[in-house]
Amino acid sequence: MVLLMKKINIEQYIESYLKKVSTAQMIIIPLVLLLISLIILGWSFISTGSPVELGVEFTGGTIVTVESPLSFEEVKQQFTSRFSDTPPISARDYGGGRVMLQFAPMDEAAQMELNKYLTSNYGKEVSLQQMSAQYGHDLQISAIKAVIYAFLGMAVLVFIIFRSVVPSGAVVLSAFSDIVIAATLMNLFGIALSLGTVAALLMLIGYSIDSDILLTTRLLKRRGNLEDKIKGAMKTGLTMTTTTLAAIFILFLVSTCAQYVSSFSRIDIISDISAVLLLGLATDLMNTWMLNTGILKWYLGREVPIGKRKRGRKK
Amino acid sequence: MRDEEVEKGLASNPRILLLGGAIIISLILLLLPAIFPDLGFGGLKYGLDLDGGSWLQLRPEGAMAQIDADVGTIITQEYSSFLNTTVTVTGTTDTSVSFEVETLVTAKQIESLGYGQAAVSGGRGGVSAVTLQVDKNHVISRYLENSYKTEVVLSEDRDGLWHEIRKQTSAEELEDILDDVGGSVILYRDGVSQATLAKTKEILEDKLNLFGLSDVKPIIVERKFILIDLAGIDIETAMDLAATPGKFEIRIQTQGNESIHAVYGEDIQTVGIHEANNGVWGVPFTLTQQGADLLREAAIETNAVNDPLNHEVIMYLDDGIIFSAPLNDRLADNLKIMPVQDMSASFGTDTGSKESAKQLESHLKVGALPVNVEVIGSGQVPASLGAQFKELTAIAGLLAIIMVSFMIYLRYRKKEIMLPMIITSISEVVMILGFASAVKWQLDLPAIAGIIAVIGTGIDHLVIITDEVLYEGKLPPTKVYLARISRAFGIIFAAAATTIIAMIWLFWLGFGALKGFALTTIIGVLIGVLIARPAYARIIKEVLKEEQE
Repeated sequence: MVLLMKKINIEQYIESYLKKVSTAQMIIIPLVLLLISLIILGWSFISTGSPVELGVEFTGGTIVTVESPLSFEEVKQQFTSRFSDTPPISARDYGGGRVMLQFAPMDEAAQMELNKYLTSNYGKEVSLQQMSAQYGHDLQISAIKAVIYAFLGMAVLVFIIFRSVVPSGAVVLSAFSDIVIAATLMNLFGIALSLGTVAALLMLIGYSIDSDILLTTRLLKRRGNLEDKIKGAMKTGLTMTTTTLAAIFILFLVSTCAQYVSSFSRIDIISDISAVLLLGLATDLMNTWMLNTGILKWYLGREVPIGKRKRGRKK
Repeated sequence: MRDEEVEKGLASNPRILLLGGAIIISLILLLLPAIFPDLGFGGLKYGLDLDGGSWLQLRPEGAMAQIDADVGTIITQEYSSFLNTTVTVTGTTDTSVSFEVETLVTAKQIESLGYGQAAVSGGRGGVSAVTLQVDKNHVISRYLENSYKTEVVLSEDRDGLWHEIRKQTSAEELEDILDDVGGSVILYRDGVSQATLAKTKEILEDKLNLFGLSDVKPIIVERKFILIDLAGIDIETAMDLAATPGKFEIRIQTQGNESIHAVYGEDIQTVGIHEANNGVWGVPFTLTQQGADLLREAAIETNAVNDPLNHEVIMYLDDGIIFSAPLNDRLADNLKIMPVQDMSASFGTDTGSKESAKQLESHLKVGALPVNVEVIGSGQVPASLGAQFKELTAIAGLLAIIMVSFMIYLRYRKKEIMLPMIITSISEVVMILGFASAVKWQLDLPAIAGIIAVIGTGIDHLVIITDEVLYEGKLPPTKVYLARISRAFGIIFAAAATTIIAMIWLFWLGFGALKGFALTTIIGVLIGVLIARPAYARIIKEVLKEEQE
């Protein structure tokens, strides 16, 4: 009974949303947020040299996770006194009786000494990840290239699919805004850019395009009342995104919180990917159903006075 | 009666047959190796992050450069500092340089710098006229070798002829060296040639085999790195095994601390076991034909054959001396006549000598990389943590499926829609895993993230199909159904194409750990749009038809 109520509510909610929010508001609110995000990223770029915090894969350095009955402060102290030239730059509790330490990039001899110490004092239960600063820098460039090429490839394809400037531009703008706002949220939540989160940003391009293409196809290629078409597309699109959100939320929960319920430790790469996707998909809801919808509404509505198309007419 | 027709309609549909066949093949690929491990085909392989072990990413140190320089200038510069006198070039052709030296020289002396064959004449007034047979590229290589004190080889690819400097350097350093002789760098590129990279990889593989790790296969990534996954080996051992072997070189002393190059490690053919011969500890080894020639040339050039005590044979590993001793008299005499391949490096009679011999043996056996390698990335995942990751991702996957089923049910309220959707989605996972098993992929965490991405877009696409078909809340007439389905697939193919475009760069750039992710996503999307989703469109039609009747 309660569930049935909810189902009706979704349609009512869409309807009241479309009534209350004007086309101008639909377009302006996301654009303002995009602008604020660009300012935050720009400011971060000026003050730290990078729009987002970079993970160890991109800065270079060593991350070590060891099993220890001691607190992370004590373990950090222990390593600091043993390796005074290359002390850990940070330490934190990793769950399941594990402590994670991060070191700045060091030379091969220092790395081998650290490895030796780890193996003889902590046995085989050590996770370790090390990247040289130079390779980290190379990876950074490859990552930026991958994201830019992916985005350009997607943009070209969208223009080929719709062969119309405004609708294609709206899709591309909305995907661009997804990435920018997701990156800003990563910045605010302190999620570092790692190989995993670059993958997540690329996945986001794929996900965000799904609902945008659905919306644009429904509005451009289907006959009928514009408002009804938007409602239909929104119903389908919201189902798509909320289903994905629900699955990703579970992933995030399991990979991040397993450490609190048992001796499990967190799975960083899955945790990071799911966190970025959650933020990005939430952003995509706004960009698809406000920005992209708003632009299409304005574009299709505007054509009526020219008298070429009747199908875009409303009311 | 009607039910039977429906069954028959579904079962004979090519899309359904394709899906069914693909699932069965995938299941066979996944399950057979698990039941009969001896068959030797297929079977899921887990990456290091799920199975435990360590990995190393190595960068061979070196640079490639295309260089233009004047042969005459190099010869003048090199010989005036070598002979400590004025050198005047009197003529150059494509294959020779003639010059005058204000001192008496022999052809042998001139040839000792390694620039080419010399003919010396004159001697009037203490001036010698020299004609040197040269090859421009060889002269430049030789000049770089003398300046860098490292091997420089010529290598050709489609961009032209390159001088490969087998040592860490920079464009600035190279320009400085060439400035001295008025030369210039046309093109500069960090890293070694593909041939050297492959050779380095091969030697590493041999070395790992030597230590009993025959299943470890180093691979070349991004055309410039070597990646080694060592399952079940800890990082300390891994670094010791793969990263420490340095560059091995035999040189012969000329005078004082000066020496000239004789042989590199790659010309050491076989190395015997350290042994005591008449109480003297030593390591027998053989040189290749080329190595024997080179050693003989160097021994003659330095006069070690006549005066062994003042021209010791020195073995270097990573610029450190690991062995130094004079040629023994009999070998010196033999070398005057012909190249010798069978050698033995001898120490003394005490226990210290035994240890040294043992150490030299292992150095000789493995220290044969043509270039130094730098560890640019490494990592270790304990097996216990990998097992946890497997368990957790399995739990997360199951919970995610339950959650998605719930959300779908909430929206459509029909288990007749929910079940085919979930089953289609699971079948996509099975097919991706089956494919992974067939092509022997390593399933690692990024690849699992890729599968998640595919499932996410997969469910999205099934929702699009369902909503198109159900636009009026019920199954439309066949003609309308076909139009709707083709529109749904228009959206789906467009979305799939954009996802593939987004991922292809990641795969193309050969981007470290994310290559697996990119490949999984691309293959998964293809399997989804070409096999699973068309079948779903057919199934959902039958399901709705059945329900309406």
